[in-house]
Order: sequence, then C-alpha cells, then structure tokens
Amino acid sequence: MPSSLTGFEPAPLGDFLRRASSYALIATPILFFIVFFLGPLLYLFVVSLLEPSKTELYGTRLTLENYERILVDDFYHRIVTRTLLVGSLVTGTALLIAYPVAMAIARMSPRWRILAMIALMFPLMLSNVVRAYGWIAVLGRQGVVNSVLIGVGAIDTPLAMLYSIETVVIGLMTILLPYMIISIANALTSIDRAYSEAAQSLGANPWRTFIHVTLPLSSPGVAAGMQIVFFLTLSAYVTIALLGGPRFSLLVSLVYRSAMAFQWTQAAALAFVLLTVALCVGTLIVLVLRPGRVQGRG
Amino acid sequence: MNRLGHILQIGLAGLAYLLILGPTIVVVIVSFSAGETFAFPPPGLSLRWFVEFFAADNMTGAFLFSLRVGATAAIAATVLATLAARFVVRQRGATSGALQSLFTAPLVFPAIILGLALLLFYRTINVGGPAGLVLAHVLIGMPYAFRLVLASLQSFNLTLEEAAQSLGAGPIRTFFLVTLPIIWPGILSGGLFAFIVSFGELNVALFLTGPGYTTLPIEIFGYLQFPGRQLIIAAASTMQVALIIVLALTIERLVGLARVGRS
Repeated sequence: MPSSLTGFEPAPLGDFLRRASSYALIATPILFFIVFFLGPLLYLFVVSLLEPSKTELYGTRLTLENYERILVDDFYHRIVTRTLLVGSLVTGTALLIAYPVAMAIARMSPRWRILAMIALMFPLMLSNVVRAYGWIAVLGRQGVVNSVLIGVGAIDTPLAMLYSIETVVIGLMTILLPYMIISIANALTSIDRAYSEAAQSLGANPWRTFIHVTLPLSSPGVAAGMQIVFFLTLSAYVTIALLGGPRFSLLVSLVYRSAMAFQWTQAAALAFVLLTVALCVGTLIVLVLRPGRVQGRG
Repeated sequence: MNRLGHILQIGLAGLAYLLILGPTIVVVIVSFSAGETFAFPPPGLSLRWFVEFFAADNMTGAFLFSLRVGATAAIAATVLATLAARFVVRQRGATSGALQSLFTAPLVFPAIILGLALLLFYRTINVGGPAGLVLAHVLIGMPYAFRLVLASLQSFNLTLEEAAQSLGAGPIRTFFLVTLPIIWPGILSGGLFAFIVSFGELNVALFLTGPGYTTLPIEIFGYLQFPGRQLIIAAASTMQVALIIVLALTIERLVGLARVGRS
C-alpha cells in the first residue's frame, strides 16, 4: 500500500511501539511454555540425576545410579522388552488394518469421505477410559462375547479374556486405530492421480503401481501415523491398567507407581528411559520410511 | 481380481469401524439397562442409572469439576493460542517453523512424563490443587487451539488489517472490529477442541488430581479398578458421549471436522 497516496506516514515512534507490543504479545505464550513445559522437563531431567532421599523430594549429590539400576536389573529389561513388543504389535496391526481402510476411504466421493472421517474423529474426542470400559463391556466375564457364547451353548462358564497381553494389544490398537487411518487417508487423498495413471499407461500392473508409486508417496502419512500410535501406546497408563490388570506392567506403569511411592528420582529416570525409547523408535520409523523423499512434506 | 480387492477393502473397513465404535455403542446401550448388574442385551430399559449418577455426589462433583476445569483451561488456551497464531502467521521460514514446533509439541510429547514433571515442579514451588491441573490442561489444549486459529488466520486476508490501521484504527480496535468478526469460527472451534481435550484427559490428570478435585475420567477410572456398581459408569460414559456429540456437531458446523483432522 503506497502510503503517500493515503497521506499516512507511520511515525518512527509509532512503528517502534507497534513492534514492541507485537513482541510483548508473543512473549506471553512463549513464557508460558518455558515456565510450564520446557522448565519442568529440564527440572525432571536434573532430578533423574540426583540421589534419592528419604526425607526430601531428592538428595543433593549428582549420580547416575537411578539409570544404572534400570540398566543392570533383569526386571527392568523384561519390562522394556515387553513395552517394545506391545508397542510394535499395536503399531504393526494398526498399520495392516489402516492401510486398506484408508485406501477405501480415499476412493470415496468427497461427501462420503467426510462422513467416514467424522466417524473416525468422534471416538478420538472421547476419553480413553470410556473406550477402555467399552472393551471391558465386550470382553468381561458378563460381557457381550461371553453372553453370546453361553447363549449359543458354545461354553458353559465364562471365558477369562481380560487381564492378558492380547486384550491390551487389541484395546490399544482399536483405540488408536483412527489416528493411523486418518493420517494415511489424508496422505492418499493428496496424491495426484496422474502419477498412478502414468505408471499404468507405461505398462505397470496395479500391484507394481502400488508398490512403486502409491506406497512411497503415502510414506509421510504412514510415518506420522506409526509415530503417533507408538507414542500414545507408551503413555497409555489407564488403558494398560484396566485391560492388563494390576499385575501387568509396561514402562509407563513403573513411572506412575514409582511416583505414587514417592520415589521421585527413580520415577524421573524411568520417564527419561521412556522418552529415549520414544525417540529411538520415532527415528527408526523415519529412517526406514524416509518420508522426506516426498517433495514438499516433512 | 481388482474387484475382489475392493470388496475385501470394504469388508475390512466395516470391521475396523465395528472395532472402533462397537464397544462404545455397547456401553451406551447398557447404560439404559433396567437391571441390577451388567448384562448384554439389557433385561429391560430404564433411566435408573442416570438417576443414580446424579444422586452420587462424587460423580456429579467430578462432572461439574471437569466442566469448570475444561472451560477455564479452554478460554486461557484459546487466548494464548490466538496471541501465538497472530504472531506466527506474520513470520516466515525458521522463526515460523520453530514457533509452530514449540506450540504443537505437547501434541506428540508423552503426556505421562509431562504430568510427572509438573507434579514435581508444583511440589517444589508449593503450588497444588485445581490451579495446577488447569495450567497443565491449558498446555495440553493449546496445540489444538493454536492449529485451528492459525489455519483460520492463514485464510484471512491480512491486508484488511493494514487497511483498518491505515485508516487510523489501533491494533486492538483492528483485531476486535475487523479480524475477530471474520476468524471467530476458527477461534471458537479451537476453544471447543481445547475443552474436549481437557474433558477427557487422563495422563496428566492422573498426577494432578486429588481428593476434592477429581475429574470425571479419573473418577471413572477409580470405579473401574474395583468391581461392582459398573452400570453407574455406563451412565457416566453416556453423559460424556452425549456432550461430545453436541460439541463435535458444533465444530462441524463452524469449520468442518474433516478439515480439523487434516491439520
């Protein structure tokens, strides 16, 4: 806008004030994030490096023993292995189911696609405790599956299906499945149809077109979906506790229990082990799928 | 061959939707049961478990507390998100990227670690009670509000603001008289989303709730760990489903839910 035409010349002082007020306005959310997000996380990391104390929240001496205990103890090894196993099973089965479903959604007319997406968004807005309760209602002793099986005379006494690793995997997988489907479906709908048409006109059959064109182009959505499902599995304490029972533990259960037992330094170290697992698996997913190859996407 | 593939895909999609939505539908049906204990299908229909829900002080207390926390956190998150998005939309390149990563970081960060970090932080500075939970929920809800407000500002023509200012309006008048009337659906949806996130949130609330200030999801979790009286939880769950349906329909009207899922 040529200011000479409007006769409006911003005074240098007004300009300075405007810029200063714009920085003052952005400073509020940044400060909030420093005080309540970055600061507490840094503080938690420091606590994980301090010796435990019986009277205070933590001792004063710097030490690595909180981490050493996790590294040498077989108990912790089993928990980390089981956490990785559950995380991989949940992410893997979610991917296997989500990809074909996302392809079906991507082919729908825009009207139906919106409806399909809303039906996936809605359960994500519900509390996970409600959705985990749904699985208790389906698989519990008086649940739907047992009622049906007893009703048709297949069994006499109810099957005990809750409190097993399978139930935890099924529960977490179905609770998180919408994230994976939405992520892949968005990636698939944004692929230009001209690519696969070009491949087919050059003689590639549908299968080859899928492997060499569609699949690589959808990798940003696949990578993002896998990361979010894996990360949310790591944090899902309530779902794991309800479907796995009081004696089923993953890393997150140990973090929570140590904190409730006031073992702050141990809880802090376990939290950073969990974060390390998340970062390693997240990086691995990016390295294998290389979503950065697809132009214009992260 | 291709045809068979499509039929398989449709079948699998049906199965996926059943697995995703089925269990919640069972809970909603069972909450209208007339029976004493859990049974599917219910022996008869009644509203007795909703009556019990409203008669149980801890349940209604947790429900009202969740509403208050959600509303307070949503308003604060939306104000912060609008301040942040107004600045970010005018930046390019590295600054914009860095600030967007910062403000959306709580979205992917394992919330259980955040809950632990905040609990320890509050204990050290001797803050506690409902305020600590609200502040944590502001943080958790902010990424959603930020994305929605940013998206609506990105499709807003910034020259309109320049025009208002060149005609002599100050920045505050410009925002309330020009920008807000155009982008309000994005801001309101952002606030509703922040409310929804707070209302169902578990991982941070596990650490930051306590006697006298428990949210509804944590109260439900407490009930579920011990057997018995499970039908009152079905009623509590149905209350939540109903509330979320109303809010989701409102967001759909304002900006379109499918668009939210894309960002």
